[in-house]
Amino acid sequence: MGVRTDADFDAVVIGGGHAGIEACLALARIGFSTILVTQNLDAIGRMSCNPAIGGIAKGNLVREIDALGGQMARLIDATMIQFRILNASRGPAVQAPRAQADKQAYAALAKLTLEQQKNLTIFQDTVVDLVLDSRGAAVRGIVTDRGRRIIAPVVVLTTGTFMDGKLFIGEWSAPGGRLGEPAAMGLGASLRRLGFSVGRLKTGTPARALRGSLIPERMELQNPDPVARPFSFSTARIERPSVPCFITYTTPETHRIIRENIHRSPLYGGKIVGRGPRYCPSIEDKVMRFPSRERHQVFVEPEGLGTEEVYLNGVSSSLPEDVQERFLKSVPGLEKLVISRPGYAVEYDFLHPTQLFPSLMTKRIEGLFVAGQTNGTSGYEEAAAQGIVAGINAALFLQGKEPIVLSRAEAYIGVLVDDLVTLGTEEPYRLFTSRAEHRLSLMHETADIRLLPTGRAVGLQDETALDRLSRKKRGIAEVREMLRRRKVAAADAVRVPVLEAHKGRAFEQALRDPGLTIAELAALEPALAGSEAAWLSLAEVEVKYEGYIARQEDQVGRFQALEAKRIPPDFDWDGLVGVSAEAREKLKHIRPISVGQASRISGVRPPDVAILMVSLKRDGRQRPRS
Amino acid sequence: MILSPDDPIAALATPLASSALAVIRVSGPGCLQLLGKLAKGARPPAEQRRNRVSRFTICDGDEEVDEVMLAVYRAPRSYTGQDSAEITCHGSIPVIQRLLSLLTRIGFRPAGPGEFTQRAFLNGRMDLTRAEAVNEIVRARTDRARALALQRLSGAIESRIGAAREGLVELRAGLEAAIDYPEDVHDGDILDRGILDRVIALLQGLTSTYRQGRVYQEGVAVAIAGATNSGKSSLFNAMLRQDRAIVSETHGTTRDWIEGTVNLEGIPVRLFDTAGLRETRDPLEAEGIRRTQQVLAGSDLVVYLVDSTRGLDAADENLLARPVGTVVIRAWNKVDLPEARPAPPGFIAISATTGVGLPDLEAAVALSALGGAPLDSGEPLIDSVRQRDLISRALAALGRLREGRERGVAADLLAVDLADAMQALGEITGEVTTAEILDRMFASFCVGK
Repeated sequence: MGVRTDADFDAVVIGGGHAGIEACLALARIGFSTILVTQNLDAIGRMSCNPAIGGIAKGNLVREIDALGGQMARLIDATMIQFRILNASRGPAVQAPRAQADKQAYAALAKLTLEQQKNLTIFQDTVVDLVLDSRGAAVRGIVTDRGRRIIAPVVVLTTGTFMDGKLFIGEWSAPGGRLGEPAAMGLGASLRRLGFSVGRLKTGTPARALRGSLIPERMELQNPDPVARPFSFSTARIERPSVPCFITYTTPETHRIIRENIHRSPLYGGKIVGRGPRYCPSIEDKVMRFPSRERHQVFVEPEGLGTEEVYLNGVSSSLPEDVQERFLKSVPGLEKLVISRPGYAVEYDFLHPTQLFPSLMTKRIEGLFVAGQTNGTSGYEEAAAQGIVAGINAALFLQGKEPIVLSRAEAYIGVLVDDLVTLGTEEPYRLFTSRAEHRLSLMHETADIRLLPTGRAVGLQDETALDRLSRKKRGIAEVREMLRRRKVAAADAVRVPVLEAHKGRAFEQALRDPGLTIAELAALEPALAGSEAAWLSLAEVEVKYEGYIARQEDQVGRFQALEAKRIPPDFDWDGLVGVSAEAREKLKHIRPISVGQASRISGVRPPDVAILMVSLKRDGRQRPRS
Repeated sequence: MILSPDDPIAALATPLASSALAVIRVSGPGCLQLLGKLAKGARPPAEQRRNRVSRFTICDGDEEVDEVMLAVYRAPRSYTGQDSAEITCHGSIPVIQRLLSLLTRIGFRPAGPGEFTQRAFLNGRMDLTRAEAVNEIVRARTDRARALALQRLSGAIESRIGAAREGLVELRAGLEAAIDYPEDVHDGDILDRGILDRVIALLQGLTSTYRQGRVYQEGVAVAIAGATNSGKSSLFNAMLRQDRAIVSETHGTTRDWIEGTVNLEGIPVRLFDTAGLRETRDPLEAEGIRRTQQVLAGSDLVVYLVDSTRGLDAADENLLARPVGTVVIRAWNKVDLPEARPAPPGFIAISATTGVGLPDLEAAVALSALGGAPLDSGEPLIDSVRQRDLISRALAALGRLREGRERGVAADLLAVDLADAMQALGEITGEVTTAEILDRMFASFCVGK
């Protein structure tokens, strides 16, 4: 399907990272001829940092991306080499899956998936500029380093850390996006020229080392969960090898070496101007900022099955290589470490994301969408989540339809996008569960219930997926029904002693006992034992936490009331009498789509919100704006 | 409903009654220019210096309607945060009505209830608890009530709620750290019991002041009851400091209740003199006694009088023994007479005619009105139902939180109750805004403030 006869493609996606993969697949699968332009085809889907997908809040993102029809969950399901559910002790709402990935296998499968995708072309080149229409208000295509012009009405920008990227190791620095890969020069300058507000951020990665040089006996073994569970709702089961990780700790000697050489750090020496992530600090940051901490955890994680390299999670550093080697060797188990690649810091251009609508299209240039690290985030999952949102909304834009904006009460993706476009960010943004107001509504097991219909509506999910969802909903209802009907018998109490106190009551009532799990009940009742684990655990949560869920729903209701108060896109902010000057500036810049979004803008105070509501009410009563 | 915040509005700020002077307030962008159509002075109102009172003549065409004093306030340094003015005119009802209709004719809209204060809130001049305090000051009936409302206007409640919210923010931070950094936080540390208890105590302190706050604002109803000729009407007059009720030696003189208002230690007290309770065949007196029973049932407090020269009789014992549902203060009257017997325990000895013991009785009435607890002078009183309900909501959520913590409920669930409590506290000060809050809040305001 082509929308413009004079265009080469319907859409160009710049960058083949985790955001670019989701964006180009969404566009192509919805039916638009799409070209992915990236500097190095062999780097598609590369994991620049840790060899893992998922984690707290991030695991939820992966499952939401899958529910919408994205690829990340399928990629990790096929390439994982260890699986764990994190946060089991902190409650049902915040548990999340995390898997170690075979990095090379993951990237190779990503590339193969793109190659085999209908409507999608992948092409190796570096994009240096955008082509705009005569008014300079809409994008018309791109210009590459080698002078090629590719004309398309939609461009999705996902440049990761490559836009004017610069690498740092101690006193050494050089242009680059990843160690060994050149930066993408020029694009950042053209975006600045177009009037975008572009900032600098910094992130870092630890050294890699060879497995054979480890002394495993001196470290703790971290075993995976016995059963690996799929990320994708379409994956039936995981049959993958499982490789352990190791845990060790830094020592006072480690900290001493770091402190003594801190002046050689590009961060502390003032060479890096970009702000780094508070949440994923380098080891030198941790040592300097928390001098009273005696030790910091180090996870030793395999990089893949086809390599001996391991990743040293927790000790990201841009200290000189000799210092890195010395401090790492002061850690138990790493005394004989052979480093294969040093840790480094990378500083790169990012676009202040408040310049975007919640659709992830720029306010300045129509048809230009931006996703991933370019918007100031960190993390593969955050990037992929924005990638699929940008891809879907770029497709809807081509179709002349309204964008999809997921609410904060509906998806972690909604929280992520709303935070970015409403609050912006001054440091690499990472998603936490605490950024969400309504976690109980955002459990990873319900991602399909929440989002699969949306995926279906935009054309990324098929009937089979919808049938699977209906079967799940029916399954949960049947489990609930069985729990209500089945009574605790004397024989049950013999097998499960906790049930002694509940004899004669319905299973449902008994399940409210904190000392009882649904697994124990399922073992007593064949009709339950046949249910899928996910159905049982969701039914269990519904029963056990009924009161909490009800209260959360009340909160969601109050929250949605303000979200539902829509602000017309052409709202006259200058005509809003009575708001503070600061609030007016912020409102004009952000251009919120709802009163709820307006109320979250920093600098907009409750009285400003009240005035806005009054004004909207009055406009609603008067004639509609022409 | 919320009214448009930028129309020019006008309202009479003083009662519509004949008096020496009356004040009309106007507010809204451009209101001073608009006033220029009516008010003629040395220079137009719009060019008047702010915070200056000057003489103007209000003219309807060529006709001079009234000589007035005009005080001009300019945005943002005015009560509403907008350009505003106060017109002090002569307090005759026809003049006031004429001025109001002239203002309407030139484009002013009559202000809705509380609209001036609503604008002050919308323009960031005050938070919700202060806006409520303004309303209470307007309605205050005693100096004490006015003083308490003034204390609220200074933000005393806001700062108490702020302290509670700070505690909750700290709890939230701990809880979230436990969730997002499970390796770094131990299971026992997810919710600090000390902080939680402190916040609960703080909020409980505030709710317990609600009743007292209400008492100062709304006052209490106190009925004087007792057998015929026990001196109820004398006591009524003595407490009122005026001769309102007819006093005589004849039993059953008071046939119907009468009401008077008195200020007891800052509490507005509605005092009721009632017909004496006794068996009677007189249908008129019987009706009086029936009405007495009604008044007693509707009172917050009953002062039960016994004639000390006659002592307690069976009827008294009978009445006092019966639970009446209201607090009863027992008084032993006529102790100045030589035949007076000594007061039994629990009775306050008084003489309504000489005033002996009256201060003790009045103190007892005030203390009982406040629920038996003397006023802790430092604590601001909450007296709006809205604030009380929200604090109760927060306390209920925190109670569940504390209980859940003891049961070992998971962090993500505890967070739900914590969020509930924080939302409720945010609504009190208006940090969390909903259209509904504003509507409800301002609906109960006096026009003109």
